[in-house]
Amino acid sequence: MKEYLKYSGIMLALILVQKTIINFIDVTEFKITPDVVLIGLVYIGIKRGKITGSIAGFLSGLILDIFSFSFIGLMALSKTVAGFVSGFFNENTKMERYLNSYIFILIVTFCSLINNTVYFLFYFQGTNLVFFDIVLRYIVPTTVYTALFSIFPVLFARRRRFAR
Amino acid sequence: MKILLSYLGNLKEYIIFSALIIFSLLLIFQNDNIQIRFVRVIAVNVIGVVQNGFSIIPNIFELERENKTLRETNIDLSKELSMLKEAKLENLRLNQMLEFKSRTNYRVVTGKIIGKTLIQTRNNITINIGEHDSVRIGMPVITDKGLVGKIVATSGSFSIAQILLNKDLKVSAKDQRSRVDGIISWDGEGKVRMKNVSKSADVKVGDILMTSEYSNSFPSGIPIGYVTTDNTIDNLFKNIEVECFVNFETVEEVFVLKYLSEDERKDLEKKYLEKSK
Repeated sequence: MKEYLKYSGIMLALILVQKTIINFIDVTEFKITPDVVLIGLVYIGIKRGKITGSIAGFLSGLILDIFSFSFIGLMALSKTVAGFVSGFFNENTKMERYLNSYIFILIVTFCSLINNTVYFLFYFQGTNLVFFDIVLRYIVPTTVYTALFSIFPVLFARRRRFAR
Repeated sequence: MKILLSYLGNLKEYIIFSALIIFSLLLIFQNDNIQIRFVRVIAVNVIGVVQNGFSIIPNIFELERENKTLRETNIDLSKELSMLKEAKLENLRLNQMLEFKSRTNYRVVTGKIIGKTLIQTRNNITINIGEHDSVRIGMPVITDKGLVGKIVATSGSFSIAQILLNKDLKVSAKDQRSRVDGIISWDGEGKVRMKNVSKSADVKVGDILMTSEYSNSFPSGIPIGYVTTDNTIDNLFKNIEVECFVNFETVEEVFVLKYLSEDERKDLEKKYLEKSK
């Protein structure tokens, strides 16, 4: 239970960061920002598995949707998928390795790619943007930016392990 | 049951995931923005294509229902078509009659034939107008084509008329071209003939015959028919066959002319005949 409360606290903090500070570090003319909530979600997915990952993804996505005031349910959908996929890396023997090594960045990259694909393909339906435009302008940059940001938790974990 | 529950237990991750996805999609479809409208269009197209694919498989029950409906529709449409054709023909007839009514100098009453005999030697028609419509015995019955006959019996709402195909009806007639007079009557064997025309009289095939001013029963100038055969039967008279303008087999509406011969004239002619006897 304590553990779940911890995860909830982490996710709420990340949502708050995502909706406030992160907007100051946007790049490109399309205002690309890293998805720190997704990084937290992947962490939970690897730690707790598919069910927890899906539920965490759904709830965090729903909160983000509510804060965005526009497309209710879309972020919930993409984050549920991403959380579920991250749960596939929940293996007892390899879990620590995934979380504390640069493999975590690869997992985040993979999950972010799925998350962004679902999100942006839905989000830009009915506009003049073609599939390749969406991929090049939004999906790939956001995925790369998020992957870059996932270096920080890896560094943090390695440093803590080193300190121990 | 246990196996099923165990199987479902193994699938619980996927069941929960599917439920969350469905819930997310439901939330998404609650929105009414352009993206969702576009997705709905795509969904409708996909469903349409799939349904179209399945539509090649015939549904026997559906076909039976469709056939039944089509048959019923066919019957209804046939009835409607028949009624429309009837209405069109009636409209044409009534138009012609109206046109005639406006150009005739006599006051007329319009009646519909409700009974007809054409196979006897004394043929009559029954009309749906009678004394309540000021129809009296002796009044001429005509159509826009020509003479039909005359009223011989009346009741409040109905009347009976002798027609030209009645041995008892004799009409004083005149050749429109040569003004030759004669008497038109039916021979009871299928021919209307003009009698009392001398051998030397100028009557030709195609001449139009009409009522003459010598008639007591009919006003002059009503067309009767035209000459079809002109033979000499003996040294004195011609045998003239006449084709009536009115087709008695198809006529449906008639006019009754509000015309009665003058009583004074009748009386004078009667007295003279008695005296001469």
